[in-house]
Amino acid sequence: MRRSILTGIVLATGLVVLLDLMVVNPSLDDAAQAVNEVLVLLAAAAAVGGGATLVAFHARNLASGDGDSTGSIVLLVGMAAILVAGLRPGSSGSSDPAVLWLVAALLAPIAASVFALLFVFLLGAFRRGFALRVRETSLMAGAAALVLVTLLPIGGQAGEWLTTGAGWLRDVPLAGVFRGLLIGIGILVAVSAARSLLALDGDDD
Amino acid sequence: MTTSQPPVTTEERLAGLRRAAPVLLLLLALVVASLLSAGTASTAGLRLASPDRSRVDQVRQAIGNLPDNALVLIACDADLGTYPEIRAATRVAIDDLAAHGARLAIVSFTPEGRAIAAAERDRISRGGRIEPPADLGYVAGAEAGLVRSIASIVPAGAEGAVAEAIRERGGGIGAFDMVVIVSGSDISARSWVEQVGSRLPDLPLIGIAPTFLDPELEPYLRSGQLAGLLGTLRDGIAYTEAVSAGSATSPGPTPGPLPMLIGMLAAIGALAEAAFRRLVRRRGRHLRSGRAP
Repeated sequence: MRRSILTGIVLATGLVVLLDLMVVNPSLDDAAQAVNEVLVLLAAAAAVGGGATLVAFHARNLASGDGDSTGSIVLLVGMAAILVAGLRPGSSGSSDPAVLWLVAALLAPIAASVFALLFVFLLGAFRRGFALRVRETSLMAGAAALVLVTLLPIGGQAGEWLTTGAGWLRDVPLAGVFRGLLIGIGILVAVSAARSLLALDGDDD
Repeated sequence: MTTSQPPVTTEERLAGLRRAAPVLLLLLALVVASLLSAGTASTAGLRLASPDRSRVDQVRQAIGNLPDNALVLIACDADLGTYPEIRAATRVAIDDLAAHGARLAIVSFTPEGRAIAAAERDRISRGGRIEPPADLGYVAGAEAGLVRSIASIVPAGAEGAVAEAIRERGGGIGAFDMVVIVSGSDISARSWVEQVGSRLPDLPLIGIAPTFLDPELEPYLRSGQLAGLLGTLRDGIAYTEAVSAGSATSPGPTPGPLPMLIGMLAAIGALAEAAFRRLVRRRGRHLRSGRAP
């Protein structure tokens, strides 16, 4: 598709959504809602497409014997189990008891276990980091140790001091960095969007 | 092709076991500590609940200010990995809202959130103490779906008194008196502030989020765009204690301070050991080369 057509679509839809936020007008509201409906459909199509691509990729791996066959089988069986449980005739979808059991008895504990393993892997990464980049790893480990100390679950006056310290660390340096990142990302997105809307990017027609 | 591997000797096995011993001992200590402090938020000088109750008071005040028969939406978009951190606070918040006579509905904008929401509804139904929230299901389209829900959030097939009440008030998110956002995934309280708060500025938004999201959400609490935020485990436990103190019902299993303390001390110890080992190795290298460290 010619780039100018894409730019035109972006320009028209972006303006409709922006104007709808600023101006109270029923026709404009209808147009913005229509654009939003298309976005919802696109997102749903992308999700289904992503799932189908994943299945096709692992089915091809299995057929050709490439890659990790066990992993591919586990993934495909897992997807099939959830799909059969949620889509079989008579199923109540995501509220079906079979789906709820799969989620509560398998998915949630597996996900929580993988997340809990981060604790061990992170400590292992620190050990390796000390061997590779001492200065950067020391800084990270120092900051991590400081945060850990302030979060120690101690009662009494010492606990209150630590909690105050933890709150300050969270609210001032950490929140400052996060806010800076968000503002930076926001400015970058706004500049990129404005360049697209105003067709300032180089034309590759 | 065949490969012949040398047999593993007893000494090698013992060496492997020695390497794994600290991790195994840590796991054992955590299991014992979890069993010892199961369901208690404080153990002999240890205290997990935050002593700073300002956030708890803010959330409780927002819930206390709800009108009679208020409609409250639970937006459940937690993440399976971090949900254990906010599970107790979420469950207690649902109980607290029900105790204040709120009519609840639950919706999700992420598949993971939907899985958690369905499991929570099922748990409430089996418990039988309170009416499970009206199920508004899963809304596709991520943030676009969220914006779409401002105009219409009730699925066509939804029935029941709460669904009808939402339809009578317009059928969109604006029909609710408050939204409790259970965060953790891509659609967090930040998405709600950006997409819904800007369009419905009078709608109170309460966030329940794991600690990693707290620095991101804190500015929205300070600016008043969030009416309340439970953004750390310690705030969540403090809220759980505060609500349970005035209620006959148990908050269910909450994380105990002893396993947390053991895990934290193990982490600090491992970091210190790695740094010390590196320092000793560096000093040894300098001494061998005849230079000052």
